[in-house]
Amino acid sequence: MSSFGFGLISAAVLAIATVGFTMQFAVTNVLNLAYGSIMINSAFVTYYVNEHGVNAWVALVGGVLTGAIASWLLNRFVYTPFQKRNLAPITVVIVSLGIDLIGTFGLQAIVGGGYVSFTQNQGREYHFAGLLLSSLQLIVMGICVAVLVGVHGLLKYTRLGKAMRATSANKNLARNSGIKTQFIISTTWLISGALCGLAGTVFAMNAGVFEATSAQLYIVLLLAAMFLGGPGEPYGAMFGALTIGLATEVSAAYINPDYKDVIAFIALIVMLMFRPFGIFGSEKTN
Amino acid sequence: MSVELSKKGLVLTATGLAAGYDGRAIVSGITIEATPGKVFSIVGPNGSGKSTLLKSLVGVVKVLEGSVKVGDTSITNMPPEEVAKIGVGYVPQIDDVFPPLSVKENLEIGGYLLKRSEIHERIDAVLEFFPRLKVMMTRKAGKLSGGERKMLAMGRVLMLSPSVLVLDEPTANLAPMVATQLLEEYIRGFANFGSTVLLVEQRAKAALRISDHTYVLGGGRVVLEGAPSDLENNPIFVESFLGGGAAARPKE
Repeated sequence: MSSFGFGLISAAVLAIATVGFTMQFAVTNVLNLAYGSIMINSAFVTYYVNEHGVNAWVALVGGVLTGAIASWLLNRFVYTPFQKRNLAPITVVIVSLGIDLIGTFGLQAIVGGGYVSFTQNQGREYHFAGLLLSSLQLIVMGICVAVLVGVHGLLKYTRLGKAMRATSANKNLARNSGIKTQFIISTTWLISGALCGLAGTVFAMNAGVFEATSAQLYIVLLLAAMFLGGPGEPYGAMFGALTIGLATEVSAAYINPDYKDVIAFIALIVMLMFRPFGIFGSEKTN
Repeated sequence: MSVELSKKGLVLTATGLAAGYDGRAIVSGITIEATPGKVFSIVGPNGSGKSTLLKSLVGVVKVLEGSVKVGDTSITNMPPEEVAKIGVGYVPQIDDVFPPLSVKENLEIGGYLLKRSEIHERIDAVLEFFPRLKVMMTRKAGKLSGGERKMLAMGRVLMLSPSVLVLDEPTANLAPMVATQLLEEYIRGFANFGSTVLLVEQRAKAALRISDHTYVLGGGRVVLEGAPSDLENNPIFVESFLGGGAAARPKE
């Protein structure tokens, strides 16, 4: 039962990260493998603000802003110039992999290799339906619900969200409809980057202790969750994150926890083999 | 019609136009004009550059030479979003709707440049023209039939009350009866409301039936033009397009 509780929290963190990741991929057409390194860099910004005596939940704003600004800059000065050269899409993916390594190991060079943790306690513990959850974990779950509701509201009910979905579905047609797609894409980098920064911080809070390379393999979970739900499908991302988060943590009760991420690898391979467009995606997404 | 479907039409002119991809011209030396209240059609064999020509008029394909004007405004190589703002509505041959969005959302996106308060009024006007869409407002566009989809595509561009409608093979993949209704009822209807209509049409006979003037493209150039009655009496045109003969060739 406790592994189910861990699974729920992991799923909540993964859901925040995956929704931003898949939104970014759907609208901007960039599979940004540097997402994990931006997550951990954002977490470290929150950590340093927290170190200066600011409450961790307030310091989180610093992490969110870091994610948003870093993602926007990355698109503006790295991905867009490559995309303008009309190179094969795989080129940008390889570039993003390089950025991920630079971001992760560059951070390690700056902050060192040691583990750090926020000045923050886990809060009271609550027994709920056989689960033992801390205040911090409940807040993380609350943030996750707020993010998912917020993203749903954004995409479904706002002019910006509909323009993002239209740009994702057909960029040329969106332009023919009067949408300035470059503006929509830049805004998407900001929003998805903010979610990346938020995810990085709550990931680090949930982990308790973290270091520069802590999120290095997180991209595998993100890819598995995204492909399970359907690439570019925000609602699929929510489903995928819940499934992968639960599956990896529950499996840890039965296999060596060091190998729990293998479950995500297997899910990713099985989905790519049998339904590469995911549960919520269509063949056209593929 | 309680709300005007389109603004007063404007003259669309292309002069000495060459356009294509990666600096290579697919069409060249094109001079055409489309005037308000009339249907102008472009016909020609596959690969003659019809779609490229239309795309270059609306900013999707780069104009390499010459100019494009709407009224007195030059729209040569203007970004598509600016072309839409000026009042040119473009319906591409394929990928003409947003499949994951509902019919209502597609229409809302069509009215993206409108004020929030104007959108519902415009949707009502479009639905008055395409009443069949009324019962499918919450359906995903990707689930519509070919005819319904094309109505939605046209409804989407009508949201901005365009002065000029540019339609790329609107009857492609439609059943003959639906195609006829679309051409004779709706597309002719746009012109009757005062819009300028320029369409590319693969079904030459059907195009002639609703057109006031037709341009014939071959090898990336205009090889014939005239009123439908003149073209129907032109042996080259009849042999190439109405009698199933060889495709028209450009003038030397």
